[in-house]
Amino acid sequence: MTQSSGKSNRLIATNEDTLGPYYPISLCDNDSMDLTEIRSGIINKPLGEKIIINGCIKDINGNLANGILLEFWQPNAAGIYRRPDTETHHKLDPWFTGYARHRTKDGNFTLTTIKPGVDVDLETPRAPNITLTIFSDGIMRIVTQLFFEGEKANDTDPLLLSINEELRDRLMIKPDGEDENGIKKYKIEIIMAGDNETPFFDDLLS
Amino acid sequence: MEKLGRQIEIGPTDNTSNERTPRNRLHLIPDNARGSFAPYAPQNYGINPAEADMTRIAPGRPRGEGDAIKVTGQIMDEFGRPIRNSLIEIWNANKYGRYTHIEDHSGLQLDPNFLGVGRTLSDNDGNYEFWTIRPGEYLARPDIGRWRPKHIHLSIRGGSSRIITQMYFAGDPHNDTDPMRILMGDNFDKNLGKEYETDGEDFDCGYQFDIVIGGKNPTFFENN
Ligand SMILES: [Fe+2]
Repeated sequence: MTQSSGKSNRLIATNEDTLGPYYPISLCDNDSMDLTEIRSGIINKPLGEKIIINGCIKDINGNLANGILLEFWQPNAAGIYRRPDTETHHKLDPWFTGYARHRTKDGNFTLTTIKPGVDVDLETPRAPNITLTIFSDGIMRIVTQLFFEGEKANDTDPLLLSINEELRDRLMIKPDGEDENGIKKYKIEIIMAGDNETPFFDDLLS
Repeated sequence: MEKLGRQIEIGPTDNTSNERTPRNRLHLIPDNARGSFAPYAPQNYGINPAEADMTRIAPGRPRGEGDAIKVTGQIMDEFGRPIRNSLIEIWNANKYGRYTHIEDHSGLQLDPNFLGVGRTLSDNDGNYEFWTIRPGEYLARPDIGRWRPKHIHLSIRGGSSRIITQMYFAGDPHNDTDPMRILMGDNFDKNLGKEYETDGEDFDCGYQFDIVIGGKNPTFFENN
């Protein structure tokens, strides 16, 4: 995938490649899919509601997409992302990074996290969402954003409003009962290609 | 003309590519949602410096078979600004074209002294360095006789910069028929390591591989 830059003073980007089939599994040994614990055995917890999201990534044939690398990115319970321009934000949560990475062997994943919130101070508030990047064999990275079904803020979210209703529904994380500790569970199915394909977004150009 | 998102092409003759490539054009991100598409990875933790020496499994162990090489380069954005303190993950096949990955069922020869997995961090100027064994080419698809040329896989993650790429070697006879290379078109030279001599050092040679991370994510915060 080459990418030409519109302005001549820019350097030509190195070509992106696929993840390939042999991304070393051990590189993710220290990555955690539990964003509610910055590390184990610490009393401090992030603010907000702890939730569990079970998901899967499927290919054009409905088979689970094995061997893919996933990255999750979300704001905290107050809707604030941890990044350079929010370093001193008063609603930044010291115990929440919002970033998780996971290499899934079989295409399934479980993310334990805090339900993302809404930053009401924004001119155009975003509905609670989680950005998901997929790195896979056979294709360069693709990116989408997942939302929570039934959220009032969904009705005015600029990204959801930019696609049609049928596509919007494919981005919805749906309630799926509770676990034995009363923690709310959710589920989502991502379809990379074909019927009911998940909408993906152009993070390079747009 | 209305601006449209990219239509991703299905890679040539690759089953996985056919199964996993979205058929619909990518959707454009509205400006006021743009910031949420620049995941900002937490500051990278310290890494054991020995992980940058992939020529041996651990310090004090013998080197793997084949030519030891040094790879150096600078990581920057499209404006030439260094991408500092980024995590660089590296993986490559051994001299015989075999990965140590548990899912590499090629049956090619393993090397008891080669792991093929390394990590390092870029410094304050975006520079990085690692050592490895020059990988062998390998027959990726025996069913259609398709070879992969010699290559080293790299994954880079620093702040909102992200790229997964491969460094290739000039003159490899399989470069011309490699499907990945064909997708790159005229820009293939951006993915070639530039060979240099390493006189007085214990390497066959060095390769300079500068990496420019394009797109909006690496420049999102600086431009905002
Ligand atoms: Fe490879």
